Amino acid sequence: MTGFRTLWQVALREITERARSKAYLLTTGLTILIVLGLIVVPDLFGSGTTERTVGSVGSGNDVIISTAVDLGNANDEPDDPPSIALEMVAFDDRGTAMSALEAGEVDAVLVDGEEIIVESVGGFAGSSFVDGLQRAAGTVQIQSVIAEEGETATNIIQILTSDPLEITTLSRGDPEESESRTMVAYFGLLLLYLAVLLYGTWILTGVTEEKSNRVVEVLLSSVRPWQILGGKILGIGSLAIVQLLGTIVVALIALRVTGAFDLPPVEVGTVLNLLLWFVIGFLIFAVLFGAAGSLVSRTEDANTIAMPMSMTAVVGFFVSITALNDPDGVVATVFTFVPLTAPFVVPVRTALQAIPLWQYLAAVVISAIALAVFTVIAGRIYSGGLLRYGGRVRLREAWRSAAG
Amino acid sequence: MLRVQDLHKSFGAVRALTGCSFEVARGHMLGFLGPNGAGKTTAMRTVFRLLKPDSGTVTWDGEPIRPDDLLRFGYMPEQRGLYPKMRSSDQLAYLGRLHGMSKSDARESAVFWLNRFGLGDRVDDAVEALSHGNQQRVQLAAALIHDPELLVLDEPFSGLDPIAVETMSEVLREQAAAGKAVVFSSHQLDLVEDLCEDVAIINAGEVVVNGKVEALKDSAPIRHLELEVDGDPSTLVGFLDGVQRTQTNGQRLTAIISADTDVRGFIAHVQEQGNLRHFTYTTPSLSDLFREAVR
Repeated sequence: MTGFRTLWQVALREITERARSKAYLLTTGLTILIVLGLIVVPDLFGSGTTERTVGSVGSGNDVIISTAVDLGNANDEPDDPPSIALEMVAFDDRGTAMSALEAGEVDAVLVDGEEIIVESVGGFAGSSFVDGLQRAAGTVQIQSVIAEEGETATNIIQILTSDPLEITTLSRGDPEESESRTMVAYFGLLLLYLAVLLYGTWILTGVTEEKSNRVVEVLLSSVRPWQILGGKILGIGSLAIVQLLGTIVVALIALRVTGAFDLPPVEVGTVLNLLLWFVIGFLIFAVLFGAAGSLVSRTEDANTIAMPMSMTAVVGFFVSITALNDPDGVVATVFTFVPLTAPFVVPVRTALQAIPLWQYLAAVVISAIALAVFTVIAGRIYSGGLLRYGGRVRLREAWRSAAG
Repeated sequence: MLRVQDLHKSFGAVRALTGCSFEVARGHMLGFLGPNGAGKTTAMRTVFRLLKPDSGTVTWDGEPIRPDDLLRFGYMPEQRGLYPKMRSSDQLAYLGRLHGMSKSDARESAVFWLNRFGLGDRVDDAVEALSHGNQQRVQLAAALIHDPELLVLDEPFSGLDPIAVETMSEVLREQAAAGKAVVFSSHQLDLVEDLCEDVAIINAGEVVVNGKVEALKDSAPIRHLELEVDGDPSTLVGFLDGVQRTQTNGQRLTAIISADTDVRGFIAHVQEQGNLRHFTYTTPSLSDLFREAVR
C-alpha cells in the first residue's frame, strides 16, 4: 500500500501547488465569468421586444401585420413585454416604398396583401421575420375562407400556435425526459471534450516541465514512474473536476435566478452513465498525454506532440455530434467500438436509448482493456522517455530504454 | 555495504560501462573519479535502477536492490533539478514525504537542513529566487532530508565557492562518521584526497584503480619529485633515471619518476653543484595516480 501512499503524495503536491498558482485561479475565475456572461447577458439585453417597421402599399396589409403581431405574441407570459412589435408606414406607390426599403427606413414592404419585398432572402434574423409575415398572411386567408363557419380570428391563432398533436416516441418514458437526456448527454460531451483538451494539456506540460527542469531524476530515484504519472493524473483530474463542478453549480444557480430557460428534470441514471464515461475518457486521454509529455524536453515542443491526441478528441466530438442526429447510424455504431471515441459516442447513444445492451457492454469492456493497455504502454514510454534529454525522443527509443 | 559488480551497459553503439566494479561500506566515503564521459553518471544511475545494466549486479547489504531500498538512499543527480516555483522548505518536505517520512518529521528535517546550510532565512523563498550556489545547497539537502543510509552524489562540489565547499565537506564527513555509506564523484582531486579514504577511478567504462588512497600511493610504481635550484633546473633531468614526466616552472622542477630510481645518487649530484634550495621526494598525489590511470 505504500505505493499508493506515494502516489497520493504526488497528487497532493499537484493539487496544493497548482491550486495556489495564479494560472489556476485565473482560469477558474474566467471560466465562471464566461459562463455567467453567456447566461446573464442575453437575459439583460435579449429579452426585449423585436421591433420592425413594415412599409405598406395598397390595401389589405394592415390585417396581415396585426395578425403577425398576434401570432408572434400568442405564447408570451402576461407580465413580460411583447415578443414582437410591428409599425406600419404607408407609401403611395411601389417606387417610393422601395427606395425607403433601400434607405433602411423600413425592413420590408407589403403590396396589396399579396407580395412582400425584402432587401434579400436569407440571413438568420430576417427569415424568421418574413416567415412570421407569411404565416400571418396564411392565417388571414384561412380566416376569410372559413369566416362563414363562425370561427373567429382569435380561435384560429390559438389553434395555429398550439401543438395540437401529443408526441409519443418509440423509446420508453415521456418525450420531455428524453429531451432532457439528450441535453445532459450534449453537455456531458462538451465537458469531456473541454476537459480532455484543457486538462490533458496540463498533464502534458506538467510532465514536460518536470523533465525540462530535471527534477524528474530526483523523483525517479525513489518513486516509480507509475506513481508519478498516476499521482499527476489524479491531482490534475481532481482540480479539473473541482473547476468543472464549480462552473456547473454557478451556471445552474444563474439559470435559476434569471430563468433564462427551464431546466428539464434529469434522471440519476443518465448522470451516472455520463460520469462513468467521463472518467474512462479522461483517464485514457490523460495517460496518453502523460506519455507524450515525457518524449519532449521543452515546453515549446509539447504542443506539437499533443496533436495526435487533440485531433482524436476533435474527431470524437464531431462523431458524437453526428450520433446526436443519427444514433443508430453506421458512424455512431462503428465509433462505439473505438476506444478513444467511445467515451464521446456511447453516452450520447445511451441518452437517446439507441444502443443495444451488448454494444454498450462491449464498449465498456473494450475501453477498460484499452485503458489498461494504454496505461502499461504509456507507463513504459514515460519511464523510458524521462531521462533522455535533448531533442524529441522517438517512441521506439523510449520503449527500449525503459528499465522495465 | 553497496557493492557494484562488473556492470556493462551500452547505448546503441556507445559502450558506457565495460566492467565497472566498486564497493562502499557503511561509515566510509568513496571518491568516484574519472574523466568526462567515463561512465560515472551511468554507474550511479544504475544504482538507483534508473538504468538497467546489460549485465552485472548492484547489491546493498548483499541483496539485489529492490524499489523499497531506494527509499533509504539519497541521490544528488548530475543534472540538478528542483521545482523552480516551489518554496524550498515545501520542496524538501515533499521529497521527505516521498521517502516515507511523516508530515511533521519531513517539515522538521527540511528546516533543520536549510538551517544547517545557512538558508534558515530563505525557508519560504521559491527555489528560483535562490542563487546557483544556494540552489545546490538545497539540492544536497534534498539528498539528505530522509536521513539515508547510502548517499550517492554526482559532482556535489562543482560550481561551489570555497565556503560552500567547506560546509559540504563537513556535512559529508559527518555523514560518514555517523555510519552512512557515501560515494561521490568529483574532478577536484585535492578535495577527494582530503575527504576520502577510498577511491575508484573509472576510465572508458571500466574501473581501473580501486582501493585505499594511502595503499594505492605506496604501491604505485611512481614517485613524485620536486626541487628548486639557482639557475635552470632542466639540465639536471639528464642525471635522473626512470623519468616519466617532467615540468619546469622557473627554477622549480616537478618530475614523475619510477619508484625504483636511485634518488640518493641524484641528490648527491645536485648537491655537488651546490645550489639546491628545496627538495621533496614523496609518494604520488592522487592527481598523479589519476593521470597515470586514465592515460
